[in-house]
Amino acid sequence: MENISAERIRHIHLVKIKDLTLKFPANGKEPEHVVLDKLTFGIRDGEILGLIGNSGSGKSMTCYSVAGLLPENAVITEGTIKYQGKDLLSMNAKERRNMLGKDIGMIFQEPASALDPLMKVGKSLDEILLSHGITDKAERYNRISDILKTVGFDDPEKIYERYPHQLSGGQRQRILIAGAVLLSPKLLICDEPTSSLDTVTTVAILDLLRRLCVEMKITILFISHDLSAVKNFCDRVIVMRDGKIVEADTTEDILMNPKNPYTAELLTNARLDPRTLDLTHAEYDPENKPVLLCKDVSAAYTASLWGRWDENLVLSGVNMSIYPGEIKGLIGSSGCGKTTLVKTILGLMRSEGEIKRPEGSIGAVFQDPVSCLNPAHSILWHLKEALRPMRKTMSKEDIQAAIDNAVDTVGLDRSYLSRRPNELSGGQRQRVAIAMCMITKPKLIIADEPFSSLDATSAAEILKLLAKINRENKVAILMITHNIHIVRAVCSTVAVMDAGKIAEDNITEEVLEKPSSEAAIRLLDAEKRLHS
Amino acid sequence: MGRKTGFIISKIAELLATLLVVSLLTFVAFSVIPGDTAQVILGPDASQAQLDALRAELGLDKPLIVQYLNWLGGLFTFNLGKSAAFGVPVASLIAERLPVTIGMSIIALIFVIVISYPLSVLSARRPGRALDQVFSVAGHILFAIPPFVLSLLSIIAASALFSGFRAGQYFRPEDNFPGFIGCLLLPSFCIALPKIAMTFKYMRSSIIEQNASEYVKNAKGHGLTDFRILIKHVLPNSNVSAITVISIVLSDILAGSLIVEQVFNLPGMGRLLLSGIARRDFPLLSGMVFYIAFITVLLYFAADVLGSIADPRIRLK
Repeated sequence: MENISAERIRHIHLVKIKDLTLKFPANGKEPEHVVLDKLTFGIRDGEILGLIGNSGSGKSMTCYSVAGLLPENAVITEGTIKYQGKDLLSMNAKERRNMLGKDIGMIFQEPASALDPLMKVGKSLDEILLSHGITDKAERYNRISDILKTVGFDDPEKIYERYPHQLSGGQRQRILIAGAVLLSPKLLICDEPTSSLDTVTTVAILDLLRRLCVEMKITILFISHDLSAVKNFCDRVIVMRDGKIVEADTTEDILMNPKNPYTAELLTNARLDPRTLDLTHAEYDPENKPVLLCKDVSAAYTASLWGRWDENLVLSGVNMSIYPGEIKGLIGSSGCGKTTLVKTILGLMRSEGEIKRPEGSIGAVFQDPVSCLNPAHSILWHLKEALRPMRKTMSKEDIQAAIDNAVDTVGLDRSYLSRRPNELSGGQRQRVAIAMCMITKPKLIIADEPFSSLDATSAAEILKLLAKINRENKVAILMITHNIHIVRAVCSTVAVMDAGKIAEDNITEEVLEKPSSEAAIRLLDAEKRLHS
Repeated sequence: MGRKTGFIISKIAELLATLLVVSLLTFVAFSVIPGDTAQVILGPDASQAQLDALRAELGLDKPLIVQYLNWLGGLFTFNLGKSAAFGVPVASLIAERLPVTIGMSIIALIFVIVISYPLSVLSARRPGRALDQVFSVAGHILFAIPPFVLSLLSIIAASALFSGFRAGQYFRPEDNFPGFIGCLLLPSFCIALPKIAMTFKYMRSSIIEQNASEYVKNAKGHGLTDFRILIKHVLPNSNVSAITVISIVLSDILAGSLIVEQVFNLPGMGRLLLSGIARRDFPLLSGMVFYIAFITVLLYFAADVLGSIADPRIRLK
């Protein structure tokens, strides 16, 4: 993606934020929490401004402040937000709501659940026009058709009649973008719009946003923790930390020669450079007996009680093996069957074909550490629970030793044992999930996109941890990801999945440098465009 | 298309299979319970010859399996034989009492929906605030009081408040329809109250859950008003999950009406059932038990089908 000319940027500010301070006041349980601390910056008319920083840096709250969608308990104690000279904070709720959609559009992170599942997508878009007082039916229909064409649907009539579940993730994100720009707002706020999309789709969505920026003269505020998305997309970047601006400059300057050490650290983490991150991994021996062997494995989701089980095959004839000490990457676009393969290997799905699993247990780490842990119980309970299958044969001292050992392995302080999951950060929760694997001493860990819900810093730490576990304990890891950086950094071999089959399976360098399958070429091409 | 027809056929097959099991269980239960229909009809003084003759007439001397098949055939043709105690066909006895029970159930269901929906919307607007707390506590209290206690209390209250109110008054629907509805209102309300509390509790948490969803956040981002989001997005989504709860509520209402009828002295299914039990009237009881079970199964079936129609994710699978 080459940068388009900067002529579209006018040197006047569309939005000017000055000394913005946002707090969550103290309540019974928690002390006062300052989210934004005297934040001052402007968004120029026509530019694409990136806002980066780790979780909790205040990026999202900045957006919500501008959009007027702050949670009820958040209080702005100081500062002004001016939109085209108008003071937003002195407006009442109705005036601000009227601006949403008309002047300010918003796109959120989760295209999967951001559309009403019961409503046809055309009707959802129609609702937006109706609520902004456009009563003429034909006009509404025409505007919706036009915008659907603009966001890249060739047959708007057909899409109009679809329900959200009949669309792919990328198509849903297009619908959401269509909704956000339907009333031609001047400012489009994108809150991590690509973080749950695969690389191919991410590239397409960024292309679309850029086109809208030019064609519809829309200014974009783009929040992301994915630096590769920011790199070729934003004109300027603001780096945030703890509610303050660390650094603000053109994208090139920020990424090439960051002045602030924090920015530099953020970049190192995002690049996942094996040398700086100490990501060496264990040698593996393909002559050895594999820890996992899948031979001609097929699996399907059965819909009805009497339907044939293999009506809709999600996996068809998967062959794969993992050797002791190996870290195997598994890549492929969304919906290709990666997660189904994980479930099949774990024995959670009915399947046909031969699967030779390692003796003992298989560890599993999943994408979302928030919903994987039981909020009602302490970390200690979770670790004991993981030990349940073997607890009977263990003495009290053995159990205690195993727990201490697991916690030490993942680098959690022992004082965390008494805490509950909601008192931990995303990265710490993922460590708990890994500790729950390690406590059972598995020969194989399956990590299903364990980084995608984490920010760059936590992702790098978890990756380092998994590499260390692999190196020191000789545990084989099957790493599902859509991040090629991760594959390049730690995987000795990589398998590319496409439409329920393994399209290619070889040592990492071979696949990344000389891909032979169409699926791999497509994925790497998108990756190249994103990072060029 | 083939898949959809297959879905409906498999659902109907499930329904028929359930009903068959229900009929078998009912029949077996009444065959096991001690008691003899011929003895009930003829009284304790009947001779052995008279009993044998009547048994032959009623088919009670045939093997159980033949008796079952006869009875099963009768269920489908509404020919359930004669009541042992009343001497008239069971079907006509049930038909006579049905309007009261059905009428009460419908009125009670209307009370439940009309009252619990607005309250849950109000409560869910600001969860944890004073209004929500008051509603929730009131809901818990109402939920805990059995309907017959509520009935007694409400009779006392209504007698004290309205001079024209007379407990136990009843008009036949064909004589005085408004009067018939009028005398069902208070009993229906008594049955409905705990169910209002239950539906309120469910709808409240369902609305709160929907309000926190991504699509509501997104709709807010598009500038939709809270009211529009509630009517067009939140309530339809809550309704899909409420269908199951309402079918449970409705079958509870049916069960509840059997007792409340007794307190209000209404000639419904409940009174018929009780007098049948008191007189060991097996033909009447087995018929009633089956039809009550039938209505319950049908309700759940309807909820199941409605739920799949309302949700495009299931409908268009």
